[in-house]
Amino acid sequence: MTSSLLHYRAWHGPWRKPLWSVWPIARVALGMLLRRKLFWALYGFALLLFLMFFFGSFLLDWAETQLAAAPIQIGRLKTDPQRTVSFLRRGIRVLNGSQDTFAYFFSYQGAMVLIVLAFAGAVLVGNDFTFRSVGFYLAKPIQPRHWIMGKCLAVAAVVHLLTTLPALVLFAQHGMSDFDYVLDVDYFTANNLGRGPAGWQLALGIVGYGMALAVVLSIMLVTAASWLRRTMPLLLLWVSLFLFMRVLASILVDGLQYDGRWRLLDLWNTLGLVGHACLGFQHRNIGNPPQPEFWEAAVTLSGVCVACLILLKMRTRDVPIVR
Amino acid sequence: MFLDLHGINHWYGTQQALKDVGLQLERGRIGMLGPNGAGKTTLLKILLGLVRPTSGSGQVLGRSLHGDGTELRRALGYMPEADSLVPGLRGVEYVALAGELYGMPRKHALRRAHEVLTYLDLGEARYRQVEEYSSGMKQRLKLAQALIPDPPALLLDEPTSGLDPAGREGMLDLLLRLATEHGKTILLSTHLLGDVAKVCEAVLILHHGQVLCHGPVAALCRRRHDRYRLHLQGDPESFLEDLRLEGVQVLHDNGKGDVRVAVPQGWTTRAFFVLADHHRVTVRGLHADDEDLEELFHRVIDEFAAPGEMIRRTPSRERP
Repeated sequence: MTSSLLHYRAWHGPWRKPLWSVWPIARVALGMLLRRKLFWALYGFALLLFLMFFFGSFLLDWAETQLAAAPIQIGRLKTDPQRTVSFLRRGIRVLNGSQDTFAYFFSYQGAMVLIVLAFAGAVLVGNDFTFRSVGFYLAKPIQPRHWIMGKCLAVAAVVHLLTTLPALVLFAQHGMSDFDYVLDVDYFTANNLGRGPAGWQLALGIVGYGMALAVVLSIMLVTAASWLRRTMPLLLLWVSLFLFMRVLASILVDGLQYDGRWRLLDLWNTLGLVGHACLGFQHRNIGNPPQPEFWEAAVTLSGVCVACLILLKMRTRDVPIVR
Repeated sequence: MFLDLHGINHWYGTQQALKDVGLQLERGRIGMLGPNGAGKTTLLKILLGLVRPTSGSGQVLGRSLHGDGTELRRALGYMPEADSLVPGLRGVEYVALAGELYGMPRKHALRRAHEVLTYLDLGEARYRQVEEYSSGMKQRLKLAQALIPDPPALLLDEPTSGLDPAGREGMLDLLLRLATEHGKTILLSTHLLGDVAKVCEAVLILHHGQVLCHGPVAALCRRRHDRYRLHLQGDPESFLEDLRLEGVQVLHDNGKGDVRVAVPQGWTTRAFFVLADHHRVTVRGLHADDEDLEELFHRVIDEFAAPGEMIRRTPSRERP
């Protein structure tokens, strides 16, 4: 049996279309990342925030039971437990499973996503250029767009692992404590606990917010890492894009009273606006006014993505596959 | 037919890389030779469908050069000169990944990767990470990723680059075996004439973007009836002196008994044996000294080159 294996054998199997190559490219990139201890350390750190949201909700439930059992009395003033609970729930929307909860969660978790991606960019994409592996991929019967899609899929998977997946776990947690939360879209408005939808609309909003983050950040990261390759330059660019531009936009709008559209420079805020739209926020309820319209944010992000894709096309076109 | 090209021109801006290249090559073992800047890389890119020629048409194994390139690359296994490995992957994962990129289902790709690596003598090293491979192993790994889809033709760019003499011999034997035993068409692009001489039966010489000649090596090399190679045993000094007196020109004597000579008109080979017998030297070998590949290459290039023109780098018989 062994000797038969030692002979070269012809291959007559089925061939798949080039689009199928996207998954192996993404799988290999993710495999590289998941082997790094640093990634797991950062992922564990990022999950701390999720745990805070997860157990915070139990804390809220516990506080409610305590209030129901023993009403709070301040001096001679006795409070109505129901009103106190309702007040408490409105006050800490961050934990009650409303759209505010997820907006805060994505916003805080996003900071961690940015840090993880700045470190992961070199592993997921930069190494392909440093070690010329990109030539290996493009010499195969695929188009550059399949390589780009594979890499973006890998980055998107990391983003979802850090944001959408924990957010959906939070959604399920709240759904399990009160099943009406999953069934009734008007759950929060009817109970006067929140300002937006619950139920499947909220679940879709969470997925939508995660998708917006994943698509935009993956395209930006793949573009940046394909040009900069190394972690430190990537980190500097990332800090410039998401921190320096945030400060600049704040100075222009809040300090110099420029038009609210200048906030579009702050890409993290712009992403947040699109995410808020997905979660069903009314524009007037967005914090830190004045803010650009949702559609303006969407157009800006689309423009950024198109510009990145043009840069990526240029980058992959110049890869010396045959030297 | 392997290659059928008609009037292929390719420009990079104002620089013309290929000039009216027309080629009809049957399947087999073909060596592609040319100095740096001759257009070999551009031709390889066009054959792989990575760039479209500015003008002209052609087919590779019946597939048009003007398609999207994926059909061409599926029919051709390409072994690059540069390492282009994916660090962090094990040998078998790397080759299986190549199979998946060619369009094989994952399970099939993995099984085929094991088979190909075993065939290429990398069975023991298949679970090692690719960055731990030696130069020779890396070359075989690159060949393995080109072989995994079982392509009818292989495009090999400097396959013996960075190999020691034993590794080089092994690689060339392997290529020869793939061509003769498994019917693979091989297009070997190299600077090493020795590699082409050992593996290839046909040659294609490019210079300044033009095809100077192509065809079977035996048909292209000139037959010379006035030159011989002798292998002598014994002390040849007086024998060679006598040959010179008879009007024979000694072109090369390596001091180990191998001698190349040019004989005058009317010379008969029997005279070598008569003189050798007289000087107590044994002629153990006598062959017509026809033009070899190196001489063919230099002749073709010299015939093409304008007077005073410098050729930047000519292929060498051995690695410097």
